[in-house]
Amino acid sequence: MLELARYEGRHRVRGAAAATAALGGFALLYIFIYPTFAESLGADIDQLLEAYPEALSKAFGVQSLATMEGYLASELYTFGWLLVVGIYFAYAGASLIAADVERERMDMLLSLPVSRARVVLEAFASLAVPLVALSTVVPVVVVVATEVVGYPVPAVDVAAIHLLSVPYLTTCAGIGLVASVVFDRAGIAQRVAAGALVGLFFAESIVTDTDFEAAGVVSPTRYVDPNAILRESEYALGDAAVLTVATVALVALAVALFRRKDIQ
Amino acid sequence: MAALEVEGLTKDYGEVLANDDVTFSVGEGEVFGYLGPNGAGKTTTIRTLMGFQSPTSGGGTVLGHDVTDEADLIAAKRRIGYLPANPAFDEGVTGREVLDLHASIKGDERRDELLETFDAPVDRKVRDYSTGNVQKLGLVQAFMHDPDLVVMDEPTAGLDPLMQRAFNDFVAAEKQRGLTVFLSSHVLSEVRRVCDRVGIIREGRLVTTERIEDLLHRTGKFVHVRVAGDVSADAFDLDGVHDVSCSTTDGGRVDDAGADDANEGTADRSATTPPDTADTDPPRVEGPVTECTFTFTGDVNELIAALADRTVLDLDVEEAPLEEVFMRFYGGQDA
Repeated sequence: MLELARYEGRHRVRGAAAATAALGGFALLYIFIYPTFAESLGADIDQLLEAYPEALSKAFGVQSLATMEGYLASELYTFGWLLVVGIYFAYAGASLIAADVERERMDMLLSLPVSRARVVLEAFASLAVPLVALSTVVPVVVVVATEVVGYPVPAVDVAAIHLLSVPYLTTCAGIGLVASVVFDRAGIAQRVAAGALVGLFFAESIVTDTDFEAAGVVSPTRYVDPNAILRESEYALGDAAVLTVATVALVALAVALFRRKDIQ
Repeated sequence: MAALEVEGLTKDYGEVLANDDVTFSVGEGEVFGYLGPNGAGKTTTIRTLMGFQSPTSGGGTVLGHDVTDEADLIAAKRRIGYLPANPAFDEGVTGREVLDLHASIKGDERRDELLETFDAPVDRKVRDYSTGNVQKLGLVQAFMHDPDLVVMDEPTAGLDPLMQRAFNDFVAAEKQRGLTVFLSSHVLSEVRRVCDRVGIIREGRLVTTERIEDLLHRTGKFVHVRVAGDVSADAFDLDGVHDVSCSTTDGGRVDDAGADDANEGTADRSATTPPDTADTDPPRVEGPVTECTFTFTGDVNELIAALADRTVLDLDVEEAPLEEVFMRFYGGQDA
């Protein structure tokens, strides 16, 4: 077992290293400019928020920039992590099956004595490589860098946000995976998955505090709140469980669809 | 027990009926050629047998396992080798890594031996492979776990004549060891030497299955002859001559002018003219020349005897193309 996952995982190492380096660099940049930003504005820093269009501050979860925690929650985690890394996983998930079908490699793979369920599950499992790399390296960068610039953030909270965002990212990958078994062209699957994720991200932020708030229930972003974790140390384990269930459901749907599919 | 059975297999893609009630079976140890022009439905049958798509109705078995039951088919796939029409591997990995992956799942007791016959450059990345090398890698993976049944879709496409011969010898040797082979082709001459029996499919329907000798005897040769003089079609009134068509031209060969140009022309002209035109020119003759084509199913010696008292300028005897076979024997059935 897991021969396919190991094979595909090995070929994800370079991509995962590049993504981790990019996100780590992005985190460093944000953290190192914060002191200049905070000191030049001083106590008036949150007045800056009033200059933000309301929809924008809502979308990116900007609640307070007066502390490193609030700043990271909105700038790094809501934008960089939930949106950018979320799209990365949706894209990666969308490439899994569709790319092999599109390049006519799937016939060769399925000629092996492996079940279709195993092909889908092991392909999905290979995404553990970028997931683990990003979720272990970036928090260390954040904890060390905030310490260095003199605005330390509790390591437990940083660890918590990364841990609680794991089911969020697997849900994003699951959306991509479903797209990748539905569509036979990787490019289409990727656009559909990334488009769906971006749509859900903004839809959720738009309906918040409106009569349509209930509609945001389908958006994965509703179930991770970087502000609550970093600023209040509130860990919503129930929300993480919802995302875990969503991931399982999406993967099961992908398996069911792929088992019935005529490979073209 | 049949090594492979197809029973009433129908696949309807909506706009096209790719397989229409196809039924045949391949015995253990048999080399079976599945022949038909491109688009006839060969790949549809093969991909259904491998479980890549489900039939609209009907079905089949491979090594006794039901191809529409995934778990059952997986048990059979441990003993099946498969080569698709366009084998495709991950571009960014070496041939060795591809084979290692296959080995980890299905075994590779014959890998080294096979790489001596089909010498794919396993240390290079697949991206840098030629079509022929991809085909060789495909052949190695198809046979490396020492399967009992090998299914190949157009295996000789992409192989140069030398490799094609190596492939034929290899299949003949495998047959001696008791292997069952099911292979498709749209070129009869490429597979006639290795097949015991063939099935012919056209527009989704299986037209016939017969022993290769019987088929070759019935299909005959395609003859193209050029003789000096004004000869009528009656000159070839021999047993086994069909569909004679003759045309006579005055004053030598139709393409003589072209050949002269090539001899005197510039380097550019020579380069674009087939290089053998000047070298293989038959003796120039005065007077009319007759060019005839026909299909010949008789004894070749009689044909040679009939030509003996004429001045033959050119003679081509080749296997009738599969399309001709269809036109001659099966053309009327679908009309």
